[in-house]
Amino acid sequence: MAGVRNRWAIRWLRSQLPELVASGVISSENARAIERHYEHDQPRTNFGFIILAALGSALVAAGIILLIAHNWDELSRARRTGIAFLPLLLAQTLVVFTLMRRNESRPWREAAAIFDVAAVATAISLISQTYQVQGTFADFMRTWLLLSIPIVYLLRTTVGAMAYVIGSVVWLFARWGTFSSQGNPMLFWLLLMLVIPYVAIRFRRDRDSREAATLVIILALAALFGVGATADFADANVGAIAYAGLTTGIYLCGIKFFPQPAGRLHPLAVLGGIAIGVVTIVLSFESNWRMTYHAAVPRSSAANLAVAVELLFPVAAVCLASFDLFRRRAEFSLSAALLPIVAAIAWAIANLCEFSNDRWQSTRCSFAAATVINCYALLLGIDILSRGIRKNSIARANFGLLLIAALAISRFFDSDLSFVTRGVGFIIVGVGFLVANLLLFKRRIAS
Amino acid sequence: MNMLRILILGVVALAQLAVPAAMVWQREQTLKQGRVWKFRTAPVDPVDVIRGRYIALRFAAEEFSAPAKFEAGNKSVYAVLKQGTDGFAEVDHLTIEEVETDDAVPVDSVWWYGGKQQVRFAFNKLWVAEANATAAERAYVENNRRDNRNAYVTVRVRRGDAALDQLYIDNQPLSDYLRAHSPR
Repeated sequence: MAGVRNRWAIRWLRSQLPELVASGVISSENARAIERHYEHDQPRTNFGFIILAALGSALVAAGIILLIAHNWDELSRARRTGIAFLPLLLAQTLVVFTLMRRNESRPWREAAAIFDVAAVATAISLISQTYQVQGTFADFMRTWLLLSIPIVYLLRTTVGAMAYVIGSVVWLFARWGTFSSQGNPMLFWLLLMLVIPYVAIRFRRDRDSREAATLVIILALAALFGVGATADFADANVGAIAYAGLTTGIYLCGIKFFPQPAGRLHPLAVLGGIAIGVVTIVLSFESNWRMTYHAAVPRSSAANLAVAVELLFPVAAVCLASFDLFRRRAEFSLSAALLPIVAAIAWAIANLCEFSNDRWQSTRCSFAAATVINCYALLLGIDILSRGIRKNSIARANFGLLLIAALAISRFFDSDLSFVTRGVGFIIVGVGFLVANLLLFKRRIAS
Repeated sequence: MNMLRILILGVVALAQLAVPAAMVWQREQTLKQGRVWKFRTAPVDPVDVIRGRYIALRFAAEEFSAPAKFEAGNKSVYAVLKQGTDGFAEVDHLTIEEVETDDAVPVDSVWWYGGKQQVRFAFNKLWVAEANATAAERAYVENNRRDNRNAYVTVRVRRGDAALDQLYIDNQPLSDYLRAHSPR
């Protein structure tokens, strides 16, 4: 794929240049020309060093907190208040200094950002303790995240953006911790939206970097948690379609926005692919298609909004797929991209029957819906397997087989099949694994 | 660094300072001008007392007789207080109206069981320094048994804001009590 350069390959090529010149394969002018060509691909700073700088500043911030907490009780309220603001003022000074004098240094920016974000948390918690300000951990997380997100943009910190996304997920779970409020999770999507422009900036600047890959993967994982919480809050039985849409969306984004050299997949596409497999297997269980939602129950507008957010994912995934299909540029697996549509069909079938309003009671419709997904799972497995064999990819072929095996195992536990049938089934799947791998290895050796 | 960035940085820095500063300001107002209420603490399960670095407080006034369950829906609930004959605060009634007086405190949760209305006041955690946590826990539990109820807290209330002021054990502030009873 044009424009995509493998950093390791470039490093290897550069290390080979002196040897190539010495043995007369290329001239020294050629070597210099190659050096010049790859000049811009030289990594400016090491990601590992940046992580260490961020970690170091986090430790310093933690140390300051511990020092302050020592002998805390001996100090007056006013003095404690003064001290609580100290780390924050120090961190803000560091941010100003970094922006004015060390603006081009990534380790400085990352370190200053982490220090400032930690100092905000310190100030809020120290003041909360001093003044016995009550409030839930979720409230604290929300305030902290909203005060921290501008720092991500000001200091252009990717580690900070990752920490922010993880913090948003922590808020999502902290909300469940308090027994009184199983409240509205919509703020999570707002928090996530606030970081999207930064992800877009990173994507435009260096989409092939490891940081960009890590950031989008963390974002995708966070969205998976978010859909779970949203489906739980909406309580409208469309969680299956939402998950099908999100996982397919992740997979399609991985393929479309992070093109890789032929035969390779971006980690985001791999994550999406695995998630599609997992969602398909989960939905193949009949119990997941027993509908309990009653239209007669009055619904709040917040719950309706949650349903709209849920449905946004399958709609986006279908649009993304059809856009490429119409332009005949589709490079994704069509069978994988079909998941949201198949899930929607299964959902429609499951809703044909009268709701029994009893989660433990299966209906003809729930059985039919599960059958649709089972057939789809089998086709998906076979398609991935054959794609793997065609493209000579052992990983892909085995993933296809794994999907078929998982489907088989699920049905063995799910249904009342005899031990003999189960045994035969396992043997068939096992033989399939062996034969496919043997075939692929033989072909690889031959080529 | 261009002007716009300096401006944004200034706004962000101010916001970061303003949040804790606003917390300080509101609490200072309440602590200075709020009306003092004394709440007798209630016996608690010792296992439940210390969570990290705070004492989980329960109050005698959190349970009171009521003929029927208080229905609040999703709205915030306030407890309107009255002073009992022993000088300690009691709940007069619950309300969902925004109360801007010095005799109403916010309530976290409400439930009803067997003719008793139960509430949980929003001020139910008392932060203590880590060095004192164990001693504070012991003192609180020892003075909060059914046969020895010798602990109460003072809460300042102003316009619906309740600020936990002090925990008194044996009529002394917690820190004084701990100092007087320290093994050294």
